[in-house]
Formats: sequence, structure tokens, C-alpha cells
Amino acid sequence: MDMIVKFAEGFMGLFDSGAETFVSWVTGIIPRVLLLLIFMNALIALIGQERMNKFAKICSKNVILAYGILPFLSAFMLGNPMALSMGKFLPERMKPSYYASASYHCHTNSGMFPHINVGEIFIYLGIADGISTLGLSTTPLALRYMMVGLVMNFMAGWITDFTTKFVMKQQKIELSDTL
Amino acid sequence: MDKYRAIKIEKGSGGFGGPLVIKPEEGKDKLLFITGGGAEPEIVEKIVELTGCTAVNGFKTSVPDEEIFMAIIDCGGTLRCGIYPQKRIPTVNIMPVGKSGPLAKFITEDIYVSAVGLEQISAADDNAVPVARAEEKTVTVDGGERKFKYSADKKVSETLGETSKSSIIQKIGMGAGKFVNTLYQAGRDAVQSMITTILPFMGFVAMLIGIINGSGFGDWFAKLLVPLAGNGIGLVILGFICSIPVLSALLGPGAVIAQVIGTMIGVEIGKGNIPPQLALPALFAINTQCACDFIPVGLGLAEAEPETVEVGVPSVLYSRFLVGVPRVLVAWFASVGLYS
Repeated sequence: MDMIVKFAEGFMGLFDSGAETFVSWVTGIIPRVLLLLIFMNALIALIGQERMNKFAKICSKNVILAYGILPFLSAFMLGNPMALSMGKFLPERMKPSYYASASYHCHTNSGMFPHINVGEIFIYLGIADGISTLGLSTTPLALRYMMVGLVMNFMAGWITDFTTKFVMKQQKIELSDTL
Repeated sequence: MDKYRAIKIEKGSGGFGGPLVIKPEEGKDKLLFITGGGAEPEIVEKIVELTGCTAVNGFKTSVPDEEIFMAIIDCGGTLRCGIYPQKRIPTVNIMPVGKSGPLAKFITEDIYVSAVGLEQISAADDNAVPVARAEEKTVTVDGGERKFKYSADKKVSETLGETSKSSIIQKIGMGAGKFVNTLYQAGRDAVQSMITTILPFMGFVAMLIGIINGSGFGDWFAKLLVPLAGNGIGLVILGFICSIPVLSALLGPGAVIAQVIGTMIGVEIGKGNIPPQLALPALFAINTQCACDFIPVGLGLAEAEPETVEVGVPSVLYSRFLVGVPRVLVAWFASVGLYS
């Protein structure tokens, strides 16, 4: 009998420690993220999609605009996955590169702006939670995550320009370079 | 005898939605499947056999939306499960996932069915009425119609706000009302995504952490993880593994693996087993495969041509591989001075 009691206690114990973690997340993370989400959602609604579309058309002229600035702003304004749709304003040959950059932007900026990628926020939050446990501020981490992201996501897009060229040769498909 | 036959798809155990009765038609007979790394799920063969449709691997090529009569996905509930329902294309999810993700509001019983295996698919009798594809919801501006002053779908306050341009007070009133409503809607959306996406994930991961820590498995796992994630070189290796083409596409779905590993690393950082400044390179290392599973859909969102998808998938896989390790290295370099 004692065996069964012990086993049952052990079984419940598994969930006790999980429940503690859960409560600490609900009280620690949710209020802040929720209010940020509301603020961001409102800001986006007030700025509007129209202005974003106009800006995207301008960006197709220049590599830095197309793989550096546009994906950043699209991720901020539209979030994952709709940020990826802004590639439609670019020529076919640039679309894979835009995708490569924009999809990274949906992650690297989510530390500062959690509204960007609510569904996959735990990549950042999971690690940041450890920082909070140590009693340190997570802001420096979020900021550096974003800064490194800005540079390296642009690189990701730019390198994709070369891999696209390579694959086009390999598959003997030519993608249009103009809009 | 018709060239195509109707089938009936029911939800499996733990599933949601359905049953759907679907029949391909002339010009709308493509079965699109976009599943982990481009592997063909076994139900595809059965559906092709029963209906006489053509199966298309969404990973290799893309099809115009109008030709797709059904989409098969294996989304864990973060994103893709909502994309085809949003376009009102009948969607079959192999995973037992209900209304979830940022597009949850589009996932309804009349267009979506999940946890589908071989047993859930059967031939429907010919009299069964197939799911009609609902009208695409487009916002049309009726310009030519005669304008009535008050319309049934607008409040008086809205009508007044549109028609009279003179009163400043009215304008301010309307502006404030709109502003407050925007905020309120933003709140609704935010709470919705909390409930459908963040809380379920928190619950699932918290339970996992409880079991891992409580059962002693955690210590064992930490021994495995700490040498890899506890120093810069290890993180570079982790980033390299995650970015290997094809493997990267398999690791991608729902970023679930990355999120779970991220949480584990967080726990170890909290315990002091991994130095906090490595949090930065770790963020990059666990996510070098970012969105590799999603390339065709993402390019589809950007209205890419089928050729672009054909080129884009390998191209992005290669570029992820090339840029993966440098990302971790740069992040490692940038972590100098963080938390010290």
C-alpha cells in the first residue's frame, strides 16, 4: 500500500512543479505581454495597411531597403505570417531573399516587440525566462537580439540572392528581375 | 459516370471540425499537400485513389489557389492550420489541432478537419452534397448605387459623421469614438491570441518542465544539453546542425522544437549551469532553421510564381545553411559585455 501512495505522490509531484512554473509565467509574463500586444495592435490599426503598401513599392529599388528595412517594418506592422506577404511588391527574383530575411525578422524582433510572433514567442521567452530567474533585466538581451538580427537578417537576404542565382543555373530556370 | 468522385473526411481522435464532403471538379482538382519536409503522407494516396484527383507537393511547386480543391497540412497549431481556411480552401490537418494560432478565427467546422488518418477517409455516395466553397469575402465598394442618407448597417452617429463636414464637435466626437474602438478591438485581438496561442503553449511547456524536473530526467538532459549549449563552440555546432538543408525543414514546423529547447536552455541559465551572456548566441543557435518548413507557403503569401517557389525552396535552404553558423558567431561576438 505504501508503495502505491508513494507512487501517487510522486506522480502528483510531477505536476506540482509544473504548476508552479505555469503560475509564475502567467503572473510574470502575461500581463506585460498582453498590454504590449494591445498597444501594438492599436498602433498598427491606426497607421494602416495602405501606407505600408506604398512604402513597400519604394523598397524594391534597393537591396538594403528590400532586405534590411522593409522586412523589419513589415514584421513590426504585420507580424508573422503576413509580414511575408509584403514580398509581393518585389520582382520574382528577389522574393526568396525577402522571405529569408523577413522570416528571420519575425523572430529577432520579437524580444522587443512580442506582438510580432505570438505563436512562436517561446524561442525568446524560454531563454529570457532564465535571465529573469537570475534577477537580471531582459531588455539588454532583447535589444542585442534585435540589433544582431538587423545586420544578420539583411545578410541572410543578401546571401540568398547568390544562392538563388546558383539554383537558377542548376535548374535552368530564369526568374524575372523586373516588376 | 463522373470523372471525379466525392469523399467524406471525418475528424480522428482528438480532432476538430468536419465531417467534410469534398469532390474535385474540372479545373479544380488539385490536392495540395504541404507537410513536414515534403514527405508524402499516406492519406494522399488514398484520397487520389478515391477521388481521381491530382496530388501536388506544395514543397516542390505551387498551384494557383483557384485550382486547389483541398489542402493537406501537418501544422502543430501555430500558423499554417489557418492559412488555407482563411482562403476558404477545405483543409485537412494530420495533426490533432483545433482552432489555434494567429489565424484561429478562420478555422471553422465547415472548412477544416483535423487528426485525419486513413480510417477517417471514405467514399461518399454520389448524392452527398459537397462543401461549397463559400464566396470569397471581398470588400466591395458600391459606388454606382443611389445613396440613402441613413443605411441599415450604420449607426446614426456613423452616418452623421460621414455626411456632415461642418461641425467640429461632431468630428472630434467621431474621432474619439473611433480611436477608443480601435483600442478596444486591439484588446480583444490581444486577449484572443493570449487564449488561443500563448496560454496553451505555456501550459504544455510548463507540464513538460514539471515532468522533466520532477522525474530526474532533467538532470540527465542537462548533462546532454550543457556541454552543447553551455559554451560558444557548442552553440556554433548546435546552430550548424539545425541549419543542415532538409534537416532544417524537418525541425521547422511550428518552431515547437526550437521553443522547447529554448525553454530548456532558459531553465539551465536560471540554475546557473549556463552563463547568462550565452543567452544571445543561444537565441540564434536554436533557430538557424527558422521557417525552413514554411518556404512555399511564405512565397505563396508573396504571390510568387510556381517557378519562383521551385527555385526559392532550395535557394533559401542553402542560404540558411550558409548564414546559420555566421549568425551564431556574430551573436557570440556581440554578447561580449552582456550581463557582466
